Amino acid sequence: MTMSDTEYSGTDVSTAEPTPGATDDVALDVRGLTKIYPDGTLAVEEIDFSINDGDFCVLIGPSGCGKSTTLHSLVGKIPVTEGEIRLGGEDITHAPTYERDIGLVFQDFQLFPHLTVEENIEYGLKRLQVDADERTDRVTNIVEMMRLEELLDRQPEELSAGQKQRVALARSMVLEPRLLLLDEPLGDMDYKLQKHMERELLRLHRELDTTFVYVTHDQTQAMRLADQIVVMNDGRVEQSDSVERVYNEPATAFVSAFVGDSNIFTGELTDVTDDGSCAHIETPLGTFLATTGNLRSEPMSLVGEQVPFSVRPQYLELDSELDNSLSCQVDDVIHQPGSGTQIILEATTTDGDTHELQLKSFDRIEPSETVTVGWSAAHATLLEQTSVVDGIDLETDILGE
Amino acid sequence: MTASAISIESVTKSFQRETVLRDIELEVEDGEFCVVLGPSGCGKSTLLKCIAGLIESDDGTISLDGRDTAGMSVQERNLGYVFQEFEETLFPHKTVAENIAFGLEQGEQERSPDEIEETIDDILALLAIEETRDDLPGSLSGGQQQRVELARQLSRECPIMLFDDPLADLDYKLQKRMELEMRSLHADLGSTFLYITHNQDQALKLADKLVVMNHGRIEQIGTPESVYHNPQTAFVCRFVGDSNALVTEGVPTDVGDGVVEVETEIGPITATAQNGAEKETGIVIVRPEVVSLDAADCDVTFTGVLEGKTYTGETTEFALSLEGLDRDFYVVVPNNPDIGAIGDSIELGWNVDDALYFDKLSVTDTVTTSDLLDE
Repeated sequence: MTMSDTEYSGTDVSTAEPTPGATDDVALDVRGLTKIYPDGTLAVEEIDFSINDGDFCVLIGPSGCGKSTTLHSLVGKIPVTEGEIRLGGEDITHAPTYERDIGLVFQDFQLFPHLTVEENIEYGLKRLQVDADERTDRVTNIVEMMRLEELLDRQPEELSAGQKQRVALARSMVLEPRLLLLDEPLGDMDYKLQKHMERELLRLHRELDTTFVYVTHDQTQAMRLADQIVVMNDGRVEQSDSVERVYNEPATAFVSAFVGDSNIFTGELTDVTDDGSCAHIETPLGTFLATTGNLRSEPMSLVGEQVPFSVRPQYLELDSELDNSLSCQVDDVIHQPGSGTQIILEATTTDGDTHELQLKSFDRIEPSETVTVGWSAAHATLLEQTSVVDGIDLETDILGE
Repeated sequence: MTASAISIESVTKSFQRETVLRDIELEVEDGEFCVVLGPSGCGKSTLLKCIAGLIESDDGTISLDGRDTAGMSVQERNLGYVFQEFEETLFPHKTVAENIAFGLEQGEQERSPDEIEETIDDILALLAIEETRDDLPGSLSGGQQQRVELARQLSRECPIMLFDDPLADLDYKLQKRMELEMRSLHADLGSTFLYITHNQDQALKLADKLVVMNHGRIEQIGTPESVYHNPQTAFVCRFVGDSNALVTEGVPTDVGDGVVEVETEIGPITATAQNGAEKETGIVIVRPEVVSLDAADCDVTFTGVLEGKTYTGETTEFALSLEGLDRDFYVVVPNNPDIGAIGDSIELGWNVDDALYFDKLSVTDTVTTSDLLDE
């Protein structure tokens, strides 16, 4: 620890004012964050992202992508090597942990087992030496908001998972943090309980109106919870955007494949249509038409380059008259009651290699053994690059292998 | 008429005074992919261990291919068994190939060294892990280790394979990949699979036959479609798939053709009676994907307020508040339609066929309506 230890001691966290000039709607701003561990490991490199006030932001990526390092940097658990972290406009890059105005919720919630619900909630206020009257007021308010009145005298072991989550959030929120960090709190739960807790958490987020940063490796959880997703890979940010944009306008093939399901093709961009809206891509499976709408570069500048494009499984159709078509063998048909049909397809390249595709339909469909799948050019999204990381094998990288 | 691959009759098991399995009756046909689904502590693991011979049941009969297993050792049962904690079952100082060879050498079937090598090559190719042949398990990723354990068990060519939630610890993407591999392995091998999991999504994807367990008993056996669309108890309906539950008040009125009118938290509802219609309290369940936001042609209509919206790429889930209900009511629709802003009034509705009334909550009498509301 440095000089900040003494300089900041005694400051009431809850009344810290944002520095003048801070923008009102940005809660957290991370610029150029780099962390090199003492053994030389480059854990994160030049991380940039910002989160709007009140948003639910999810940090996601395969194991080892740097999301834990990022989280620990935000909390102040590890010193950063380079870069800047601003919270509510205030530079907290080198501030000690207790000074950061950030609440934390851990995996399994980690309530104090020997304290009652009320004592758990009051604990942080006592540590900050908030006077008794104010403590009572603040505990009463949060207890009312989180509907915990009936549970105040209970021990943590007597609580259901849903109740524990509410107490853990209350314990952090009573300190009125500018930001709440949640480190895979639902990681270890049964499938059914996890779904229930996700909905509960969304409801609490709506009521609390606080900025949440949630770390997970579970894509579906990220999609279900987030307003904004930061997709990380190998210490870098692949994309930081709304759920809608990450899904429909992915920055890279990695993002498209990692978040949601997708069919990724790669080929040479040979030609651009007159109006510039579409390009012809020559792949080993044939030549396809794809939209240029998602590209940052001028499409003509990519002629002769190898470029990936992605088609979400829900946009593949059987035996339809669309811009693109491909003959496939049906490998597997999975009817999942309540969510439709998933078809695993196999196409053969001119070299005799096989390429797997997925088709998803909300209806129950029964395909024949050989089918022609089609998709429109508008749903074939050209991607600027495979990944921000050079030379990755998409398949193994995404599976975390 | 050939015997079932696995036949379980009146199997009961208690530990101290707690009954963990009660009168289990189950037939798994030859070549079937049977998935046993239930919450933690429902008895599914104990059932699997009884079949494997790791635990002896107190009562009842377990037969494998028509042979009574009473007194049969684990080895004699000749079953493949894949655990969730696969790291602990591989020999850390043996290579992948040696790990698989060890299982083959211990097996009942006599094999020459050449045959063993060939079997190893085949199974590694089948699971797409040829490149790990000479690696030690410790140097492999979780997914690769899991596949080595699968390879080791599958190479023994046991006609019956038992799986204890083998994919539970894997990352999401790998889990999805392995689910597809489990399906194709089952199709290629033609063996009988008995697979237990707590993951509904996985169970619905994998099973030919789905068994739902709760508190040591079987709630329902059927195809995934029949269990999902025609649940016999409220527990099954709530546990398998997603649902909205409404608590009823007072005995429902039978209006004929299996349809009842009943008072609920959100007012009177017309629903299809799944079981019984005599009790003072029951539950009406409506699946989120059957609710229509175009209420014009619906039998039952309500007005709610839009509270939240969750877009997941393939579908959007809307959270609505309904008068009288202290929980959100969920509606799931394909894609990302614009139905209005947060705080807007929304019309919704459904058909009588899609609202299921239960007054029998479970085959056990320990389940209450509040259990089913996840509170």
